[in-house]
Amino acid sequence: MASSEYIVEFRGVTKKFPGITANDDISIGIRRGEIFALLGENGAGKSTLMSMLYGMYEPDAGDIFIRGERVALSSPSAATALGIGMVHQHFRLVPSYTIAENIVLGMEPVKKAAELFPYVDIGAASKRIRDLSKTYGLEVDPALRIEQVGVSTQQRVEILKMLYRDAEILIFDEPTSVLTPREIEFLMDVMRGLRESGRTIVLITHKLEEIKSIADRVAVLRRGKLAAILPASASAQEMADLTVGRPVSLSPSSSSLRARFRDVVLQVENLSVRGENGLDAVKGVSFSIRGGEIFAIAGVSGNGQIELADAIAGLVPPCGGRILLNGRNVTSDGVGRRTEAGVSYIPEDRQRYGLVLDFTVAENLAIKKYRRAPYSKSGILNRSAFRTEAEAMIARYDIRASGGAGTIARFMSGGNQQKTIIARELSTDSSLMIFVQPTRGLDVGAIENIHRRMLGERDKGRAILLVSLELDEVMGLADTIGVLYGGRLLKIFPADRTTVGEVGEYMMGAAS
Amino acid sequence: MRTGISETLLRWLCGDRTSSAAVPICVALLSTLVSSAALLALGHDPVTAMAAFLRGSGLMPKPSYAGGQSMLTDFMSYLGILAPMMLASLSVIFCLKAGMFNIGVSGQMLAAGFLATALVGYAKLPSGAARPLVVLIGAAVGGLMGAAVGYLKYLFNIHEVVSCIMINHITSYVTGFFIDTRYVDVITRSSRACSASSRLTIAGVRMGGVRAAIPLGILIAITAVFVVRFLMERTTAGFGIKIVGLNRDAARYAGVPVGRSYVFAMSIGGALAGLAGVTYYLGYYNSIVPKALPSLGYDAIAVALLGNLSPPAAVFSSMLVTIFQKGGVYMSSVTGAPREIASVVIALLLLFSACGAYIRERARSALGKRGGG
Repeated sequence: MASSEYIVEFRGVTKKFPGITANDDISIGIRRGEIFALLGENGAGKSTLMSMLYGMYEPDAGDIFIRGERVALSSPSAATALGIGMVHQHFRLVPSYTIAENIVLGMEPVKKAAELFPYVDIGAASKRIRDLSKTYGLEVDPALRIEQVGVSTQQRVEILKMLYRDAEILIFDEPTSVLTPREIEFLMDVMRGLRESGRTIVLITHKLEEIKSIADRVAVLRRGKLAAILPASASAQEMADLTVGRPVSLSPSSSSLRARFRDVVLQVENLSVRGENGLDAVKGVSFSIRGGEIFAIAGVSGNGQIELADAIAGLVPPCGGRILLNGRNVTSDGVGRRTEAGVSYIPEDRQRYGLVLDFTVAENLAIKKYRRAPYSKSGILNRSAFRTEAEAMIARYDIRASGGAGTIARFMSGGNQQKTIIARELSTDSSLMIFVQPTRGLDVGAIENIHRRMLGERDKGRAILLVSLELDEVMGLADTIGVLYGGRLLKIFPADRTTVGEVGEYMMGAAS
Repeated sequence: MRTGISETLLRWLCGDRTSSAAVPICVALLSTLVSSAALLALGHDPVTAMAAFLRGSGLMPKPSYAGGQSMLTDFMSYLGILAPMMLASLSVIFCLKAGMFNIGVSGQMLAAGFLATALVGYAKLPSGAARPLVVLIGAAVGGLMGAAVGYLKYLFNIHEVVSCIMINHITSYVTGFFIDTRYVDVITRSSRACSASSRLTIAGVRMGGVRAAIPLGILIAITAVFVVRFLMERTTAGFGIKIVGLNRDAARYAGVPVGRSYVFAMSIGGALAGLAGVTYYLGYYNSIVPKALPSLGYDAIAVALLGNLSPPAAVFSSMLVTIFQKGGVYMSSVTGAPREIASVVIALLLLFSACGAYIRERARSALGKRGGG
């Protein structure tokens, strides 16, 4: 019978969706009290497998055993009853409710006033939440509303939600993709604490360094199949190769060609931009980028990077300074004219800005160029051109979509959504390309692909502005590095004349 | 075997291609069932009542007709009121595609109907000149009113619902004032009847021994369905409007002129509402009741939603809702049930159509649990 060595065991689990086998005959056993990582590319089937454990889908074939007993997980509440909790990638919280209300939602402690009128005893709940947060170092103020707190606090609330329900098996779906490096450190400590307390953690992730630093074992999924189960002590290279199914290079190798700088493409002079809160987010920034140069902006999140990129792309008007593109002043031009003048922009928020989620891939690939040939002629769309152009780009940029050009963007994986945006932006022949956090939340294969393309575009003589929070990415790709701190460009270094340590110090504002 | 049938049904309800037809049909069936239950509870025969709705709309023969009338007479009259309903719902649909809620259809209809009546309805023009002029004025007046709403949003960020409602009331009072002071028919208290040559209905045509009024508006409405579909699916302007409507941030990012899209969408929507106005006031009717906004302009919102915001589907939802509105009088006279049953049926249609997404989602999750593929 089921060996009780495992707290969770999948046996031959298969799950099919129309047109795709998301999980194909997967057998995995997870031991009590370990941190078990699930690694795989976007769309490899990690989330599907965990959704079945959490009762959101039922397997087509195979069985799931919890604590040695075969179970039918027909709904998340059935899973919760078995002590399974999940922190979703996109949080499931009610913004206008307080933290305490969100945590108790669905299992409110009800008391009766005057033995008659039921009400939610939020005071008792708050007390229990405070105790829990003290025990696990998850500091929150139960009285604050979700809309008042940041992403990392929201994540803590999600974790507290599981603990409040006495969950013993905790699933984390890419928990670090929304966090800053320091918050990630903090989360890792929390997870270690949870393991100490005897809980079992399943961690869905793309990031090899997380697995190395925290997990005990890792299962690698590839295109719905189990590729291997490794101890976390296995080499990162081995994990990466298994994930992608071929040898990959892990460090963004600067391309074989040495960078050859050409004429100045972008010139930013004394640029100031007001942020959404009405304060200056960018303060008097000046720099220039030459053709064939990758200029990376390093900095801790929230130091004016997004505002700077938005202003250069034309999405927000600057409140001071000038922007010159190929010597022409474009400061007062809108997005449309800048796109035509040769600016491509891969925005940080892909789903909010980069895509129309209810459009097909073909339509999304056209949203910037639909007013011109071949997409349209004198105001009339040419739908067959949409399709042929899209098919060419899908092949060239390796976009994987189950329904080809007609796939609705919403139903694609995050990595393929990003590839769609990159395909659209790179296929425009722009002289300036702005990449903001281009590899956030992507798997190693996709990251390598994007880095290669970025270097390829540089070698074609384009000017590239890269905004990234990942210092490794900045150091590995940039020809020139500028550090943004508090809205000011503190320092500009040639990449080969600086070190990670030096850039890091400037990022903390120390060297100012 | 049983699971086979229910699975086919579920698949039909949530399939990409079929759900846009299957869900409204399911909605219509549900509302018919529930309203039949209501009729039963009131002590009336639901089958007779439902048939009476169809008979009153000229879709089924009545047992007897007055002299010179037949099913055709009723059917032509049905088409006459169907035309403004279709046009008004198309207006709502087009504006919603740009993310704008055109609650000003009533005001646009009234203004267009009033100006066309005042300028052409009383002039002694031959029908060959009067009818095209009426259509032109209707589209232009409605279009300008819509454009004004679009501009207010574009320039001053005034929400379209607020400006539409205000303009509705201004229109109602201003036109009411002029009708009362200049164009009133002292007996009916409405505006004087417009000339037969300007009316978009050819009244009293003899066809095979019966008399019927031929509504020209239905031709305009059918043309409009194709035009709207073409604008939305085949033109760059329509593509831009859809981007703006689905994701305004992405539209700004892609360089789509967001403000101009608002103005464009609202002027087309207004023009459609204006056409609804002339086919209503100078088509189905021939006069205007002062200081009364046509409720059809609000019903059109419901019809548009019932039709899932698709122009072809809106044809069917218009037909359905109009059956109950038009056939209500006859149903009441035959069964003795109150006329308001028609409103109950329409309200149920709306209630269930608002649950359309829920029905689809339930079918999808039921299928998903069974294993999807």
